[in-house]
Amino acid sequence: MPSFNTAVSRAALMLCGGLLAAACATSATAPPKEALPPPLPKDAVLPEIPQDIPPAPAPANQAALPHVVLMSMGGTIASRASTRLNITNYGGKEVQRVDPQDWVHDLPELGNIARVTTEDFRPPVDRPSGPETFEDLEMVAKRLNQLAQDPTVDGVVVTHGTNTMTEVAYYMDLVVKTHKPIVFVGSQRPWTGLSGDGPLNLYNAVRVAASKDAWDKGVLHCMNQNINAARDVMKTSAYRVQTFRGPDAGALGFADPDKVVFYREPVRRHTYQSEFAGFDYTSVPAVEVAYGYEEAPGYLIDAMVEHGAKGIVIDGTGAGSATTSQTEAIKRAQAKGVVFVMTTRTRSGRVQDTPRRRESHIVAGDDLQPEKARLLLQLALTKTTDLNEIKRIFDEY
Amino acid sequence: MIHPFKLLLGACLAWTLAAPAGAADLPKVKLFTTGGTIQSRASNRDKMMEYTDGRKVEPQELLDALPELKAIADMSYLEISNVGTPHLHNTEQQLRLAKAINEWLARPEAAGAVVTHGTAMLEETAYYLNLVVKSDKPVVVVGSMHPWSAISRDGPMNLYNAVRVAADPGARGQGVMVLLNDEIDAARDVTKNNTYRVDTFVSRDLGPLGYADSDRIVFYRHSLKRNTAHSEFDVSNLSTLPKVDIVYAYQEADRAPIDALVKAGAKGIVLDDNADGFPAATKAGQAKGVVFVQSDRKGSGRVMLSDKAAAKGLVTADDLNAQKSRILLRLALTKTRDPKEIQRMFNEY
Repeated sequence: MPSFNTAVSRAALMLCGGLLAAACATSATAPPKEALPPPLPKDAVLPEIPQDIPPAPAPANQAALPHVVLMSMGGTIASRASTRLNITNYGGKEVQRVDPQDWVHDLPELGNIARVTTEDFRPPVDRPSGPETFEDLEMVAKRLNQLAQDPTVDGVVVTHGTNTMTEVAYYMDLVVKTHKPIVFVGSQRPWTGLSGDGPLNLYNAVRVAASKDAWDKGVLHCMNQNINAARDVMKTSAYRVQTFRGPDAGALGFADPDKVVFYREPVRRHTYQSEFAGFDYTSVPAVEVAYGYEEAPGYLIDAMVEHGAKGIVIDGTGAGSATTSQTEAIKRAQAKGVVFVMTTRTRSGRVQDTPRRRESHIVAGDDLQPEKARLLLQLALTKTTDLNEIKRIFDEY
Repeated sequence: MIHPFKLLLGACLAWTLAAPAGAADLPKVKLFTTGGTIQSRASNRDKMMEYTDGRKVEPQELLDALPELKAIADMSYLEISNVGTPHLHNTEQQLRLAKAINEWLARPEAAGAVVTHGTAMLEETAYYLNLVVKSDKPVVVVGSMHPWSAISRDGPMNLYNAVRVAADPGARGQGVMVLLNDEIDAARDVTKNNTYRVDTFVSRDLGPLGYADSDRIVFYRHSLKRNTAHSEFDVSNLSTLPKVDIVYAYQEADRAPIDALVKAGAKGIVLDDNADGFPAATKAGQAKGVVFVQSDRKGSGRVMLSDKAAAKGLVTADDLNAQKSRILLRLALTKTRDPKEIQRMFNEY
């Protein structure tokens, strides 16, 4: 690999990134063009896929398999490192990323369960997957809405960095009008990591997306063999492979060796039942999150309002409490029309609609994590600023 | 399959119903009492174990202690028994309980049923009812970890919440539910997880269906497994159920218990995990017409469908634990002894 440590190559990279972003931005009606990935260097680390064991033979009628679109938003699962033991500082400009076609090449087994086509929605090379802009999210949402309408497509798998993937999945759960499965997947270890979890996670995600039983269940998340609902799943461990679970509501089903099996379906409104689904959003109102702790100051809330926040989620203590200073700032902000939602930093359990909360005109965030309450409030605020109506929305979604 | 919106609508309805109304307008809920810790008194308030030295709590005393129930339901009761769990291990009583609940729920005015039960084997009775109750009206099985006489007893709140759920139209179609510690669990998936704590009932992989919180009864999940109104099992004309027992596996586990059970006339045996001596004993038992189900002692995860097991005529238990596999196998054996057909039932229930 050439060195990227010169200002010139960095500028060139940024230009490439810009071009890629531009290419994605103009491709809302067609999948982004896949340029052939450059060949890997000879000493590149291979993924955790034993090369001395052959893949299972292909089934007789491959053409009859469901069509699954494998969409890359990047992530650890799309990252390489220069040694197998590097499972924390992988990626970076010097190391080539995993292109979507690399997955298909490395895992021919994917072709045994579905006709897989790939689409590339990765961020530019100089930006990690994860904190994408609203425009990035909307670009993907638009494409997912198209794929939902496309009769030749049976399911979609989306890869994403694990840090923020549950919010992205929940956003899609609210705005994509689909009966088909959309399955988010990632990995805790890079594609090159020793005992990397990526290959099996990807394989299982494609199995779920190809499963008829996965229809009508909202946006799904599948890692570590567990199938979870986008709304309820959260990342609970920084490095372990069993990181994704619901703090209360558990798995919907499992991608087990014998079959993909479902035990539960979500009751809250999602995808095809969502009043927010199927529209293009060019922008949504700014909503911020303020954390609760002893002596948490109100001036952070004032600052958010000053910067144009139309809604604020307070991630309160216990059953959903704010400090005195926060409470005063909330009143100041409410006078300016800012809408408040209360979640709880305990993560497990619900914030309830109590009489005192009603008196203080704060919407109960139910059991939503604050980052998800933020997205729901943003979408709610595109429709209304009426508190009763926003309460209804938080009760139903 | 009940549509999610129907559940939501139900939840909203229940909310408005919480407003005071005349008893005649309130949903009619019947309490079926069988006993357990929730109906036990000890000689001292701090006695949390061996609390059989006080007078049992009568059904009317349960209702009298909770005047708050008058605002949410029109209550009646039927006493089935007043015994702790170990003594409830009685097929005649289980059949009587199911018949009584079915008779009640068949009445158009009935809204739901609550069953008190000792916690040690509550999950088994709940799952049994989940398979034989012929109605989609809510049935809630409730117990407590602390006796009725204890300081910080959990019984009253559990009972109050159980009635709220049973009176809630939003709880229809959720199968039989278990309520302790504010949590609404599916009878199929819940298990007792701790010997003494109040948060003992958990559904290890799948989590609760919802909560009985102060503001409302709220559901997040709907079970996809067949139950109650959608179940093919019917015990209304039965006077007994086939004998099914469980053999636990461990290092060097002997085949003797399997042989002994076959000899004693077991129609089915659940093997909780596997040991060296089991396959030969299983084969011998199968030759005498005994049906074997393979479960797993780890407490979470599934026993996979395997061609190898199927070829041996073994039924795999999916993620049912041994005690629930036993209940399903008993009911399955009222219909068939064909392992293939029984495997279908284990896949569907």
